[in-house]
Amino acid sequence: MTTLTLSRALNEGLRKALENDPKVLIMGEDVGKLGGVFRVTDGLQKDFGEARVIDTPLAESGIVGTAIGLALRGYRPVCEIQFDGFVYPAADQIISQLAKMRYRSRGHVSLPVVIRIPCGGGIGAVEHHSESPEVMFAHTAGLRVVACADPADAFAMIQQSISSDDPVIFFEPKRRYWDKGEVDTANGVLNALPFDRAKTVLAGTDVTLLCYGPLVRTCAESALAARQDGRSIEVIDLRSLSPLDEDAICASVRKTGRCVVAHEAPVYAGLGAEIAARVTERCFYHLEAPVLRVGGFATPYPPSRLEDHYLPDLDRILDAVDRTFGY
Amino acid sequence: MTELKEFKLPDAGEGLTEADIVAWHVKPGDQVEDGQIIVEVETAKAVVELPSPWDGTVARLLAEEGQTVEVGVPIIAIEVTGAAGAQPTVALSGQEKTHYAERAGVSAPAPADSPGTDKPERQAVLVGYGVKAASTTRRARKTPPSEIALPVAAGPGAPAVRALAKPPVRKLAKDLGISLAELAGSGPDGSITRDDVQRAASTGTQVRSAIFENGERTATSAAAARPGGEERIGVRGVRKHMAAAMVSSAFTAPHVTEFLQVDVTETMAAVRRVRELPEFADLRPSPLLFVARALLIAVARHPLINSSWDAAAEEIVVKHYVNLGIAVAADRGLIVPNVKNADALPLPELARSLQALTETGRAGKATPADLAGGTITITNVGVFGVDAGTAILTPGETAILAFGQVKDAPWVVDGQLAVRKACTLSLSFDHRIVDGELGSAVLRDIGSMLTDPVRMLAWS
Repeated sequence: MTTLTLSRALNEGLRKALENDPKVLIMGEDVGKLGGVFRVTDGLQKDFGEARVIDTPLAESGIVGTAIGLALRGYRPVCEIQFDGFVYPAADQIISQLAKMRYRSRGHVSLPVVIRIPCGGGIGAVEHHSESPEVMFAHTAGLRVVACADPADAFAMIQQSISSDDPVIFFEPKRRYWDKGEVDTANGVLNALPFDRAKTVLAGTDVTLLCYGPLVRTCAESALAARQDGRSIEVIDLRSLSPLDEDAICASVRKTGRCVVAHEAPVYAGLGAEIAARVTERCFYHLEAPVLRVGGFATPYPPSRLEDHYLPDLDRILDAVDRTFGY
Repeated sequence: MTELKEFKLPDAGEGLTEADIVAWHVKPGDQVEDGQIIVEVETAKAVVELPSPWDGTVARLLAEEGQTVEVGVPIIAIEVTGAAGAQPTVALSGQEKTHYAERAGVSAPAPADSPGTDKPERQAVLVGYGVKAASTTRRARKTPPSEIALPVAAGPGAPAVRALAKPPVRKLAKDLGISLAELAGSGPDGSITRDDVQRAASTGTQVRSAIFENGERTATSAAAARPGGEERIGVRGVRKHMAAAMVSSAFTAPHVTEFLQVDVTETMAAVRRVRELPEFADLRPSPLLFVARALLIAVARHPLINSSWDAAAEEIVVKHYVNLGIAVAADRGLIVPNVKNADALPLPELARSLQALTETGRAGKATPADLAGGTITITNVGVFGVDAGTAILTPGETAILAFGQVKDAPWVVDGQLAVRKACTLSLSFDHRIVDGELGSAVLRDIGSMLTDPVRMLAWS
């Protein structure tokens, strides 16, 4: 076991993937010489060369379009979209081509492309640098959408995503890049949980708190704080946002009878809405309270001075937990 | 006036969290000025010169050349004099950081969570002001958690067209055969609570409950208790309802129980003969069938025993039909399904109904309709290997007959001691409705019929 930051764990995971499969390529803005603005691809171009770790023009549509072409010819490209808010020029390539090729070709052609997107706010950045667009891709059939939340998962899930034949949208919680954790780099992904399964971060009995990406740590801290009120919160890191690990979700909700979903993305038509509907359908008689959602407001992501009021924090999460006990 | 201040390694603007000390430009005892370069540090990207934020004297160097230091860790202690010392210390921390952040050309003040630093605020990154350390404790709350206000109800003026209840209460009501539409809710916004349903179940005539506490079943299925320790078993579902019903019954209806030992040799013989009859070919008539029949005939002779106490109306409701309840041990607890209009059934039909009832009841498949509307109950305590019991009335009923085990016993027949089949009947009744004379008459009649089953022909 090694102690790594989340960004370093991703770096190690990418390095392993480049070593294990010569068809794996990395491409994106500043990923080569600079090593990425978050240093996720630091040193990879030096070690694997400019033909495999490629600095691209500032053109997201071109990055993903090129990756699709490479994938058609047998490569496994890993694209970095520098910031969440930059992905929209690539939306046409992702939604209209990447997600549809296997269906269009009656299953004959798969596109094993991974699109890494640093997501979420909390770093005091400017416009377009703090968004959470996961639900747009979760809504698009034909894509896998996953989100890592800790270094161990970052290391394993990036490799699992690259070896998957499905197109994967891979969200990285950018304000957690510097969080440290133990990573089993020696054993690779041998002992890792499959990347389409949810993970129980903290076990509890009173309420199920569902989260992913940057809010996993916030939710875990909330659960620890709630123990002072005598409340036992089960924190589940969804990890896979599409498809959802419904069995794990429902097993927990049936146990606790209460469910709160937290994400940074706006609550309106967010992933929490989908989860609430599914939990209500499958756990109706077990519910002691409606499924409650905590998330961003129905505004564009605010200027950084206001982002602490926008991002769900420990208090807002625990307020929602409290409300589930009022029914 | 001097003050010892520690200068912490700021982020050098690359989003990196540590740096190597390359060279110190000062040593302890040196005078330094605000803005004077004091140290060179190297991050993974660049060598950066850092200026002193204060005027003063170097007290100590806290990091050696070549050492790798995390952002936010103090690297030098300076005795601050003059202008800086004149400023109030408390107000300084924020200003200081901005001050030297600007001087050094870095993007963010960056004390990380290292010991001895100020309260951690932000972690530096390449883009943006950096990551702010979030609070890990809750803000003070005005309302304690137990008194959290409910969300405001939606839709003003809309009449409640359906009863409000949370899903588990709906489920409980469904299981107990209670119609939510007929209940007044005592919960928020007039919603029906679990207590409302249980109150209705224990006082109304809609539902039956269990008679004998069957504590063993769930206790043994729960996790084995540690030796010498204690174990807590959640009271839920059927058991919770049963408990509420029993408490309600035991403390509202004054119970009297009478006992009668009966020679049932002839009844046992009759059971065997009935089994031979073609009408009972696919059935297994049991002594319980005869007990049931005897009770039904006794009810016909003494209708008041089959009644209920309507406290609100100050009336006794005598029922000229018999929905005969049978206490059944099911996995989730004891339940009392009943045979509707049992008094009108021919004997083979009664046998068939009793058999079906106990089978569905044991399998946990009794429907709310099966459980609702009973008027009098038999509990077969004999199957547990005991002789008698002071059964508690099913709420809303006036009598319950406990049928003990049938066993060989010494019995005086015609002045001679003989071995006969004997059992004990225990009749509990509500003394508000039934006095000792009537209760005794009912019990005596049932005993007579079981002693000599021919009496059933005579009295039916």
